[in-house]
Amino acid sequence: MNHYQLIIHVDDKQVVLERILQVTRYRGFLINGIEAKVNTGTHIGTIKLQISSDRPIELLIDQINKLIDIKDVSVDNNAVAPT
Amino acid sequence: MTNDKQHTGGSLLFDVMQQHGVTDIFGYPGGAIMPIYDALYDSDVNHFLCRHEQGAAFSAVGYARASGKVGVCLATSGPGATNLITGLADALADSIPVVAITGQVPTVAMGSDAFQEIDIFGLSLACTKHSFQVTNINELEKVLHQAFAIALEGRQGPVLVDIPKDVQLAHVESTHPKVTRLKNKVNLPPANVGSAIAMLSKAKKPVIYVGGGVGMANAVDELRAFIETTNMPSVSTLKGLGAIDPDHEHYLGMLGMHGTKAANLAVQQCDLLIAVGARFDDRVTGKLAKFAPHAKVIHFDIDTAEIDKRRKADAAILGDLKVNLPALAIPLAIKEWQQHCQQMKNDFAWRYDHPGDAIFAPAVLKEISEKMPKNTCVTTDVGQHQMWSAQHMAFNDPSNFLSSGGMGTMGFGLPAAIGAQVSRPHDCIIAVSGDGSLMMNVQELSTIKRFQLPVKIVLIDNAKLGMVRQWQDLFFNGRLSETDLSDNPDFLMLAQAFDIKAKQVHHKDQVSAAIDEMFNHDGAYLLHVKIDAKENVWPLVPPETANDKMMENS
Ligand SMILES: Cc1ncc(C[n+]2csc(CCOP(=O)(O)OP(=O)(O)O)c2C)c(N)n1
Ligand SMILES: [Mg+2]
Repeated sequence: MNHYQLIIHVDDKQVVLERILQVTRYRGFLINGIEAKVNTGTHIGTIKLQISSDRPIELLIDQINKLIDIKDVSVDNNAVAPT
Repeated sequence: MTNDKQHTGGSLLFDVMQQHGVTDIFGYPGGAIMPIYDALYDSDVNHFLCRHEQGAAFSAVGYARASGKVGVCLATSGPGATNLITGLADALADSIPVVAITGQVPTVAMGSDAFQEIDIFGLSLACTKHSFQVTNINELEKVLHQAFAIALEGRQGPVLVDIPKDVQLAHVESTHPKVTRLKNKVNLPPANVGSAIAMLSKAKKPVIYVGGGVGMANAVDELRAFIETTNMPSVSTLKGLGAIDPDHEHYLGMLGMHGTKAANLAVQQCDLLIAVGARFDDRVTGKLAKFAPHAKVIHFDIDTAEIDKRRKADAAILGDLKVNLPALAIPLAIKEWQQHCQQMKNDFAWRYDHPGDAIFAPAVLKEISEKMPKNTCVTTDVGQHQMWSAQHMAFNDPSNFLSSGGMGTMGFGLPAAIGAQVSRPHDCIIAVSGDGSLMMNVQELSTIKRFQLPVKIVLIDNAKLGMVRQWQDLFFNGRLSETDLSDNPDFLMLAQAFDIKAKQVHHKDQVSAAIDEMFNHDGAYLLHVKIDAKENVWPLVPPETANDKMMENS
């Protein structure tokens, strides 16, 4: 099991969080923690997702990137991987 | 067109549709979509009333696949909306541009378990490319434009727009908004053209593996030019059929579970596999770890997420095939390999000699294929008849062979043929169906009757859920569980009930005349072909097996 933290910037649109959660689960990643905030000035949301899986993280990043309301996705290499 | 035209939400929908060139839509009315149907009353858009929302969704899919345009379907809230879901899932799996409009209960009632309320927006997450729920009339115009744009751009797919009844009724002025694309910011990495050319020029045994992406990228000409220049052996997926010229001397046919022996052996032996708009589906690869075990892979696609998803690419070429394929088209010196593949193609060619009087479905389908008018579009249902169609019929364009690939949905064939016929009224449309599958959307015979559509239905009747029966015989010790259909309805009477001319054949010597009669008849026709229940589809690569370990007719 590998642990990752993803940082996802999104347009503040309906159900964007649900979409991310659905894709994450469907593609075989466990969600261990989540933090989500919207900047009401810019209407840009920042979602931090702690996840784990045996599958390569690139597979999930590519799928989340395909969601229409996503601005960018990156792996937070500084996040301490939970054990 | 004026800038300040007064609209209701409903009339705005048809205005936007017409701006996107929509002329035909498929649907079924109900309470929560009545304002839209009221606006339809004044619209020039042709509405085709189907007899089940699943039929409407598949007709939209067939329309889109046969014409390259967006297919549109309409349904009311609740059960109307849920009935669309199988069609949307099918469109998602096969990347088909469809826009589905659903009525929703009024915004004040939403979330109260109102009559015919279902959270179709929530349900859509797993079966659409994108979806919208419009709760503010001022958003509607922009959202509708976006829906059409998203359905078509990049990797195509279905988009659902859920519109509450009060939004359909609300008044609004068209503002002709400048549509900002919602497209995400995936930057396609630069194509590995240099390293791909290096691999290609070193390859001694290259094969090109062509998928549905070629047709959807409108790159059939570029693909054929590439094959002409490189002269490399080629194979196709189910969805890719028609992209490669079926008469090309180095074309080996379909690969995968029911692929030709030559195609599968060539891929297993090749040292370079060029995947073009294909995604290494499990029905193609068999046991993935043993698929094309000696090959380096060059992968052309529009979708970043397909690269390295199931098979690592040694070079990835992302983006428009029309641009990228020509960049790699170089002449190759692979004479020995060509000859080897040619030899396999000859050695393992299909055989149509078949003992006895009983009808041999592959021979029927081959004869239909040879006799069908130019530019005929064939749809299939799912099962043995589908695989026989893929194996034994020849197509000169992917838009002429419509089959449910990724989802394998029984019930696809008849409504897809209706959609195809509506989009191409002057072309011959044939639905090859099975006795199980036909009954899954049999109500659409009514749609054929109502609109006098000249669809030809070729019903391959083995009185079985044949494909499942085949697996039960081969892999479940012949324990035939719930696959018998010997109490099928009288299909001739059924056709008659919908004013469809029909003929049954059960002997080889009846086939040719019946095929001629079908093609000579102007209207709809059902050719009921009775075959032996025990016929199997060969070859067959058993599940989780390497593609060179296929079972064959013994
Ligand atoms: C909606 C749906 N349900 C079940 C299946 C599983 N299935 C695949 S092929 C098949 C049998 C199809 O029977 P028929 O249409 O008569 O075709 P045949 O194989 O006999 O040619 C079944 C049940 C499916 N593909 N789709
Ligand atoms: Mg059958």
